[in-house]
Amino acid sequence: MQKGKKFFDQLLVFLVVIGLVLVGGQKEGRTVERVKLIYMTAGDVNMLALGQNVIGPQFSKKYPHVSVMTIHTGPGNAGSQRIFEKVLAESESKKKTWDVDVAMIHQIFLKWAMEKNLLMPYAKDIGTWKYITSPFAKSSLGVKVEGYVMPMFHSQTTLAYNPDHVKAPPKSYDELVEWVKKNPKKFGYNGIKGGMSGVSFTVGWVYWKTGKYKKYAVTGPFEKSEVASWEPAFKDLEAFNKNVTFTAGNVGTLDALNRGEIWMGPVWVDMFFTFMNEGKMDPKMRMVLPEPGMPGQPMYFVIPRKTAHPEEAKKFIEFVTSPAIQAKEIVQRFNWYPGIDGSHLKGSIPQEIFDKIYADVTPQDLSKKGRAFPLANYFDAILESYEKWIR
Amino acid sequence: MEARISVRRGFLFPPYVFLLFPAVAFMLLMYAYPFLASVARSLIDNQGNLSFANYAKTWDLYLKDVIFTFGVTIFSTLVTALLSILLAVYLRFGNSPISRILAGLYKLPIFIPFVVVAQMMRSFLAPHGLLNVALAKLGLISIDYPLQLLNFSGLSFGFIWKMVPFTVLIVHGGFQMIDNSYIEAARSAGATLFKVITRILIPMSKSSILVALVLVYSQIVGTFTLPYMLIGGKIPTTITVDIAHRVNYFRDFGVANTLGVFSYLLVLVTALYYLRSTVKKIAETAPAEA
Repeated sequence: MQKGKKFFDQLLVFLVVIGLVLVGGQKEGRTVERVKLIYMTAGDVNMLALGQNVIGPQFSKKYPHVSVMTIHTGPGNAGSQRIFEKVLAESESKKKTWDVDVAMIHQIFLKWAMEKNLLMPYAKDIGTWKYITSPFAKSSLGVKVEGYVMPMFHSQTTLAYNPDHVKAPPKSYDELVEWVKKNPKKFGYNGIKGGMSGVSFTVGWVYWKTGKYKKYAVTGPFEKSEVASWEPAFKDLEAFNKNVTFTAGNVGTLDALNRGEIWMGPVWVDMFFTFMNEGKMDPKMRMVLPEPGMPGQPMYFVIPRKTAHPEEAKKFIEFVTSPAIQAKEIVQRFNWYPGIDGSHLKGSIPQEIFDKIYADVTPQDLSKKGRAFPLANYFDAILESYEKWIR
Repeated sequence: MEARISVRRGFLFPPYVFLLFPAVAFMLLMYAYPFLASVARSLIDNQGNLSFANYAKTWDLYLKDVIFTFGVTIFSTLVTALLSILLAVYLRFGNSPISRILAGLYKLPIFIPFVVVAQMMRSFLAPHGLLNVALAKLGLISIDYPLQLLNFSGLSFGFIWKMVPFTVLIVHGGFQMIDNSYIEAARSAGATLFKVITRILIPMSKSSILVALVLVYSQIVGTFTLPYMLIGGKIPTTITVDIAHRVNYFRDFGVANTLGVFSYLLVLVTALYYLRSTVKKIAETAPAEA
């Protein structure tokens, strides 16, 4: 009994102290207007590191009254989906202001979010809009997004290869098929359920076999008859698959390449360079972007429509899309292609970094063979056709 | 006679039945409702109509994965049963320093999460992974033609590695409860070790072995990380990987729930058996208690 009373006394003291601290904190907040910016990001753990250790602290240094809280939701579309569900739930709750101030998301998010009217058109209000030239900032998987998004970076898939074993890398999908016939099991990819590098390779295959990149990824419209016409393309891919090694995920492909299990495979450029920088990839490995091209994708900043801090959110995005941060952090530190037009970065990036990143895949390659992922309906159809026809 | 009275008394709803309310409400809300909702949503197509479209699609695209999941699960469970009984027998009879060290050591994998197991297996079983390199150094295989283990066999290996210790823990516990006098009696009547295992140890701890295997079986059916990280991109793969794929790439909860229903069906067989044996046990012990 005595013990219980003592516990309640302690609890009371504890609550009073907490109360004082909170009230005190609020009072202070009112005088200096401290703002906590909630930044939610999808993507791999490097996205968390970017928010938490790099752009968050740097932004707070420039704007001391704003602190950035980075929340990481996980890689791939699943990560974007968690952000979508959070924002959708807030919109359905009819709250006056929403918790999330800025979000970093994949292309597919925009299809979902634009349908539900969850986003604020902000991009044309900020100072760095003039640096944006990428077509990805106008439309994403066929959804018009101009004004709603700012690309933070662009990433590209290519074929990475081991030059010890591959003297003349295939310059096109045609040559790749021949190469795989001569070198069975030495090409590896991760199918379509093990990560986006495999998905990207598959999408590139369909573009190559059909020659209808424009229709599938840019102009549309979606027609069911197109899907039916893909059967031979996928049957060829099924035959191709017989001679390849399946790897365990995006990282699995890189690991297998590094360990010498495979001699070639589709990879994300930024992951490839990051692995190299961290000593997890043999620096002699090279890349080639085959004809007629493979897809890449940006990740975008968006602002939920009813954020409590629209001005700070815009400032934050403006900061990260400024040429200085794009050059130093996005390109140099994280090895992505910049979200803004590369010509504004000339001079801010040391020549050797520029040469390394653009050595195998040149800016010309990127503009000629860097593809977009298809319109959402075609994208779904491609993934499902893979499961249907490849047994 | 007395048993019947006690049964009838149960139907009178004495007031203390209400004490069950929090537990039952929790069960209904947290388990029964999601389960029924998932079955219900599997029957609604993407236009919101009642139909079997999700089932047709699942049958068309994922039947091979359902069969694969079933195969891996059955195989892993059976091998787990065999290995864990052998290890439990060794621990029951062994009394050397080695068996004592082993008794402490074997429990380690129980505390290792599946995702860590998956990462371990991924580098251990890879074509140029630890296992293949070691075998090549011993001259058993050529590293140019390594064992391909990121498939059915590697996945089963991972499951068995993780599940055997847990099963041994339960089975060994059952074996410990068996009095030495039974075994000594059998031995003095001339029974071999094999006879002792098959005629005394296993029959007398049948229920604990089966409970362990039911738990192992249903855990394997529902595991996502290990198959995703080992054979995520392969054909065929497991139901859990397909569920993640439907949700992440298509936001298609209809087919995902249908796949869920297939996995419930796989588990249901063992769940029914488990319930039946529990009910039987209660029925057997009830008259004695009354």
